[in-house]
Amino acid sequence: MKKLFLSAGLIVGMASGANAATCSNPVQITWSTIAGFYTDAMANFVKDFEVKNCAKVTVVNIDNSQLYNKQVIEMVGQTGAYDVVTLETAEKAEFAQNGFIKPMTQFFKDKQGLVNDVAPILRGMTVEYKGDIWGLPYYTYTAGMFVRQDLLDDAGEKQAFKAKYGYDLGQPQTWEQHRDIAKFFTRKTGEKLKGEPLKKDFFGVGLMAGPFPEIQDELSAPLWGMGSDWLTKNGKVPVDDVEKVLGQYVELLKYAPKAALTVTYDGVMNQMKDGQIAMTHGFFLDQWPNAVKTEEMVPGAKMSAIEAPGKRAYVGGFLLAVSSSSANPEMAMKFVAHIGGKDIQRQFAELGGASTLTSVLSDPYFSSPAMRSKTGQYATLNKVFQSMNGFSSNLFKTPFGAKIYNSMQIPLQAAAAGQISVRQAAERLAADVEKICGGPCPIAD
Amino acid sequence: MQSQSNSALMRTSSAGMSDRWFSIALIAPAMAVTLIFALLPLAYALDVSFRFADLSRGKLGDYLGLDNYRTVFADADFWSASWVTMKFTIVAVGLQMSLGVGIAFLLHGAQFAKGITRSLLILPLATSAAVTGLFWRYLYDTQFGVLNFVLGAIGLPEPNWLGDYTIALWSVALFDVWQWTPFVALIALAGLQALPKEPFEAAELDGASQWRILTKLTFPLLKPVLFLVLVLRTIDCVRLYDAVAVLTRGGPGTSTETMTFYLYRTGLKLFRMDYASTMAVFFLYVMLVAAVFALTPLLKQFTDRAKES
Amino acid sequence: MLNQKHSFAFEVLRYGLIVLVVSFFFFPIFWMLLTSFKPETAIMVSPPQFLFTPTLENYRHALVDKNFLFYIKNTLIISIISTAIVVAIGSLAAYSFARFNVGDGHILFFLLSTKMMPAIAVILPYFLIFRDVGKTTVGATLHLGLDQHGALIVSYVMFNLPFAIWLLVSFFQDIPRELEHSARLDGLSRLQVLRKVTFPLAAPSIAVTAVFTLIFCWNEFLFAYILTRKMASTVTVGVESFFTLQGILWGPVAAAATISVAPMLLFVLAMQRYMVRGLTFGAVRG
Repeated sequence: MKKLFLSAGLIVGMASGANAATCSNPVQITWSTIAGFYTDAMANFVKDFEVKNCAKVTVVNIDNSQLYNKQVIEMVGQTGAYDVVTLETAEKAEFAQNGFIKPMTQFFKDKQGLVNDVAPILRGMTVEYKGDIWGLPYYTYTAGMFVRQDLLDDAGEKQAFKAKYGYDLGQPQTWEQHRDIAKFFTRKTGEKLKGEPLKKDFFGVGLMAGPFPEIQDELSAPLWGMGSDWLTKNGKVPVDDVEKVLGQYVELLKYAPKAALTVTYDGVMNQMKDGQIAMTHGFFLDQWPNAVKTEEMVPGAKMSAIEAPGKRAYVGGFLLAVSSSSANPEMAMKFVAHIGGKDIQRQFAELGGASTLTSVLSDPYFSSPAMRSKTGQYATLNKVFQSMNGFSSNLFKTPFGAKIYNSMQIPLQAAAAGQISVRQAAERLAADVEKICGGPCPIAD
Repeated sequence: MQSQSNSALMRTSSAGMSDRWFSIALIAPAMAVTLIFALLPLAYALDVSFRFADLSRGKLGDYLGLDNYRTVFADADFWSASWVTMKFTIVAVGLQMSLGVGIAFLLHGAQFAKGITRSLLILPLATSAAVTGLFWRYLYDTQFGVLNFVLGAIGLPEPNWLGDYTIALWSVALFDVWQWTPFVALIALAGLQALPKEPFEAAELDGASQWRILTKLTFPLLKPVLFLVLVLRTIDCVRLYDAVAVLTRGGPGTSTETMTFYLYRTGLKLFRMDYASTMAVFFLYVMLVAAVFALTPLLKQFTDRAKES
Repeated sequence: MLNQKHSFAFEVLRYGLIVLVVSFFFFPIFWMLLTSFKPETAIMVSPPQFLFTPTLENYRHALVDKNFLFYIKNTLIISIISTAIVVAIGSLAAYSFARFNVGDGHILFFLLSTKMMPAIAVILPYFLIFRDVGKTTVGATLHLGLDQHGALIVSYVMFNLPFAIWLLVSFFQDIPRELEHSARLDGLSRLQVLRKVTFPLAAPSIAVTAVFTLIFCWNEFLFAYILTRKMASTVTVGVESFFTLQGILWGPVAAAATISVAPMLLFVLAMQRYMVRGLTFGAVRG
């Protein structure tokens, strides 16, 4: 036994070589974030920053589903363990309102150019709260939709679709068309798709109805599209509107793989790449580099990233903000500006990251054919931002947004799974939200 | 009598320290750890259960008397979670105990490959629910999972293991059964192997039937060890968290939301430590009452034996 | 009776069932092992692939890119020290309960009842305690702060003690007192008796207790997740760095899981010969 542990110790000893700091007494900062290719890519960007500023940046990877509570615990405990935190859109108001993060309005005073470069809708939703600026978003997972363009373009399918529905098959412009297309392409093994017999069941749409918050990201698209919101001006859930979109969504589940009730976005991407589905619902456009792999894995497939029907979809961005308990807030703020800044965002885009800056998104280089596998969705993303300009959701203006966001999937998913009726789910959501806010939710202007 | 005189002898011959002080010194380290790290958090939980405490809004708030207890007892989710926990525990522990004992009998009579069988059986135990549970999610997947692939190939129905709210809880239970049945089986097997030979030989000479030997001899002799395992498994199942967190996160809807997962959601997602602490205190209270019944026979056995001499 | 000769058909049935049982318990692990050697394109495909070109890429990703051995090292340190402490103070206490019946069962009941506490209920108080203890000089020297090994070790000791004491009490009761008495008469002190007579006799039982404690420490998630951030993170938390925004990296997760099961397996195999004797918890009395 002793030998075993000794040799294990040796291997470990060899593997963990500490990298020496480049300057004599570097300022330590820690950034808590989600694992992913971009955090790995960040390693290089962090190095630049360390050299330039005599800093040592530690990146802590946390599972997406745990990031919120882990960060809140450290904020409540005022441990100062995380200098820079990563916040989901719905969490900004809570962190700002409760004093977990520092306003950066003053810091950005002489960097207005950078703040103004952030896509305006993202700026409104992720950066500003009660007149202050709280950091910079550095990654956006704003939603559009992915479709198998080859299916929509197939002459045979077009003909059959027109005969059945009386209008031309194409990219869906309304949620009704989306449903028709989903229904049209749902086929059993042995039936034909593009004239070829299917080796496995094929479905019209992939949905994220699993036990994850993404189900409400999907539902945000039709809900916002019909001019409604998760919370009214009075801070209440509009039960009838939620019932309506949820009802349509449950209808759509008939045309989705059974796995819809257990998966989130990665599951839908896997279904797409495995040639099981024709399109998504409202879906995170940052997944483009993943989605486009379908073209390699499914013969004849061609992917398109388009705007969601109704031109409304979830606006998501990871806000980088500085913790109030940070021991080195100046350095942390510099780091936020560095990662959210134009240089890094450009390099980030080169690697396939979804940038938040208008100047990067609208750069023709990133929409060129050469960059298609990395940033082929940029043009669409830019369009989504433009279509949604001026839009705002009350979900992001209440300090209870994070808690609501983290609980609302329960009734929604219960209805999707058939455990309760759509009406019950909408009513339950309203009751849950009222419980969380202790009455109508306060909405900031 | 003889041992009494012996211990009297021990007492006189020992240099200075009496049995009493020696025995207290021996439990002191364990008591110190437990007193600090069990009672301190418990005191905190008890305190918080009487106050307003939304941790995400900062420090602990005012004392509210029994308000939190009233809220929790009126909370339908709390009772539904209790019901889910109870269903899960009864089914999972029932299956683990019966399968485990069955497997132990199966292996006990076997002549070959005992070592390898035991080693393979212990594998599920040596893995972490947080990691292997993830693989079960993959196995259970209706599109990519190997389980439904096999079922489909032999013409059986392919259930939506974790997505169908009527069966999701049993799918979680199946995972727990997979992980913990070997624990029961290995212990029951060791128990079987340690059984004394003489009474069985005598019974066989008397011509007793197999069934009679099983019910009158084997099980009564195995009872203490099986009871201990039963208590251990019940406690763990009631406190089930990891498997739910990684397999279903309480879903679909709330169909697999156990007590501890609901505690987690209330305490670490909504940060309502007041409600979470109240539930925890109540939970502990119920468990202690149950424990008085469950542990008394075990403790009696211990103390009887300790007093024997 | 149980060992008597059975008919050939009966034996065929028995081994058939054993094969079935073993495959049920081994298959998920086998599938995990298989997945760890699959290229990315062979994992999330339907129908599932049994034949593929094996690759070591997943192991490279886990060991080189993610430096998974760092978490293994932390887990080894924390689990081994916790287990050593649990076994040490647990044996002393258990011996005391078994021999002297301290507290007439009441103290034992109190100790055992702490196992009933749901970990989730005390995790935040633990977090606050270690945050403050870590700031004191003693706490800092003993590495008891958040994201330090000591904090997890103390928590694991706390949460495994009841179980260990529970197991050990009955073990110690099985050791005949007479041996201790005669050793005392030979002039050994109480502690010498413990060290030279009682503990060596209880070795198999202590080994079993150690195996279970180590397994529980090794696989614990919740405390590791709340009380550590990076420097003291264990394997169960380390695996989380494979849950990326691009989805779960199934291949590397499988590789990491395989790597983290390996030490446990070796340990269990090494302890195998003690296990059979020790596993009865002394509860079957001949």
